[in-house]
Amino acid sequence: MKIEKEIPSIVINVDHLVKSYGVIKAVNDISFQVLQGEAFGMLGPNGAGKTTTAEIIEGLRQADSGRVSVLGLDIARVPAKIKQRIGIQLQAPSLLPLVTVQEILQLFASFYKQSIPIDDILELLALRESRKILVKNLSGGQQQRLSVAMALINNPDIAFLDEPTTGLDPQARRSLWSVIEDMRKKGKTIFLTTHYMEEAERLCDRVAIIDHGQIIAMDSPKELINTHFKESAIQFELEPAPPEVVLQTFPGATQVMVSNSEVIVYSNNIPTTMSAILKYAEKVNLTDKLKDLYVREATLEDVFLKLTGRKIRE
Amino acid sequence: MKAFNKLLISDLRQFFRDRTALFFTFAFPILFIFIFGWVFSGAGDISYEIGLVKNDSSVTSEGISQILRQIPIFEINEGEKTDKLAELEEGNLRAVVVIPDDIDTNIGLGQPVDIRVYYDPAQTTSAQIILPVLKQAIDEVNRQITQQPILVKLTEESIQAHDLRDIDYLVPGILAMSILFLGLFGSIVLVERREKKILKRFGATPLNRSTMVFSQITYRMILALIQTLIIIGIASLVFNVQMVGNWFLLLGLVLLGTLTFISIGYFAVARAKTTEGAMPIIQIIQFPMLFLSGIFFPVDFMPDFMRPIIAIIPLTYLGDAFRQVMVDATPLYPLSLDIAVLIAWLFVCMILAVKLFRWE
Repeated sequence: MKIEKEIPSIVINVDHLVKSYGVIKAVNDISFQVLQGEAFGMLGPNGAGKTTTAEIIEGLRQADSGRVSVLGLDIARVPAKIKQRIGIQLQAPSLLPLVTVQEILQLFASFYKQSIPIDDILELLALRESRKILVKNLSGGQQQRLSVAMALINNPDIAFLDEPTTGLDPQARRSLWSVIEDMRKKGKTIFLTTHYMEEAERLCDRVAIIDHGQIIAMDSPKELINTHFKESAIQFELEPAPPEVVLQTFPGATQVMVSNSEVIVYSNNIPTTMSAILKYAEKVNLTDKLKDLYVREATLEDVFLKLTGRKIRE
Repeated sequence: MKAFNKLLISDLRQFFRDRTALFFTFAFPILFIFIFGWVFSGAGDISYEIGLVKNDSSVTSEGISQILRQIPIFEINEGEKTDKLAELEEGNLRAVVVIPDDIDTNIGLGQPVDIRVYYDPAQTTSAQIILPVLKQAIDEVNRQITQQPILVKLTEESIQAHDLRDIDYLVPGILAMSILFLGLFGSIVLVERREKKILKRFGATPLNRSTMVFSQITYRMILALIQTLIIIGIASLVFNVQMVGNWFLLLGLVLLGTLTFISIGYFAVARAKTTEGAMPIIQIIQFPMLFLSGIFFPVDFMPDFMRPIIAIIPLTYLGDAFRQVMVDATPLYPLSLDIAVLIAWLFVCMILAVKLFRWE
């Protein structure tokens, strides 16, 4: 019997990680830690460097410089040992097309020293009905759930999920979220990359917002929003949109975002800002063009917008 | 070992669920045997039309006529001399035999009789096949008339255990072709799995690359053995091509050949980025091999400047080894040389493949 000296409270330690593809720095000096039992999210637009960072941690890519340790072990030195204890879901891999769901889970289970019974994993991801279906005949949602099932088959200490709900309909997305929430409750560490703000807000204890290969903010979703926005957002559509300089003079307005006809005004005094907007519309004779006017709490999307000046999906 | 077995089983499962793969691996070589088998067996039934001119119904001319009609490859067509010669010139007859008048009378008088054969030297078969047969037939007539016993006789005996027909030559060639396809195209699977990120997905688990490659190779070898049994089975049941050699030696050669062509395939596509890019590379290797290796017709037919190429390509040696073992054909090279060349190709390509293969 081998007894671990101490269970490390830091399960992933990333230290000044750099990775370039030609002249592009995909990962530009990234450092962070993930704690045991935490659901950690990397949030950012496509091409921000999330997947590259995740794949270096998973041992699928080599960093140019910097150090990564996973479960207290050096991924560059003992990849096989770490891979026994982590589960990885890759972004859209195609699987062997002519085997069934059950067969591919049995195949992947055989790669590990220990694994969860196939029946349990089928149950967990609602795949029991489709266990005899060939992989090539699965729907997008079923494929995605199978892909997550394969990441969990070895009962991993850390589950890496890369864009797990991309391409799913809202219902399938919610059901996958509840699977991830269950895992989180069971004390599993989850490393999630996503470009869905709602997903990060709902699932993650902590989020690192990443853009152009760098972490631009890192905290719990709530803290990120509180730090950057004491105010709420007023959102509307107007054609033509008011100039930003005019919007900034509205009472209570702290920050404005205009893209085409879509306008967001962040305000610390909703009633006065709102009446200024309505007065403006009246003055320029565009009241009937004013559409979809509503007030909402700030979200991670707003944080991203504020920090980068861009929408995450642009 | 558990992972190896599971990988092997899932590859076999996938194969038997894939109708296209099934067709190309099993039905295609069988189709080949049938097509060639029918073409060549048709050649055995060829008969030659011979014109016969006799102007009386004397005993001797009837006798000659009888003897000629008994020859299985001849079809006798009687008629007037001028008509028959005209037909010969048109190419409708291969030869015309003319029996002179009064043959009985002349023989009775003890005078030699001249039987004339007209033929067209431009038709090579006439000179090579028909004339010797006709001569033999006339000798037989002479012997019957003079009633002399045969004192010296020629009995033919082949130095091979049995006579090689075209189909006997061809079946080992088809087996070699199947092994070539099976081995070379095996590499496409790896390229496809790399392209579709299946290799990357495997790489995210503790699975060893070598376990994966060995299970792929084992899978291909199992297919090769099944294919061999099917080809030999059909060839023996339908075309009576008997496997005369040692089964263990043959199966060993099948496995060696499969390994050699797998490693050539892996080396060839080591740097190919996509399946579309890998396919033409494999075809460029495969086509010259098919036609220059002598698996479909003997290399004697090839021009001399091709000899060095013929002597390099591994399929030449696999085909030669199969022919020696399966139908006891005359060796092109000693069997040990065949095996040595295949092993050399195997090791060189394996080392290059291991060095050059891109996993990502």
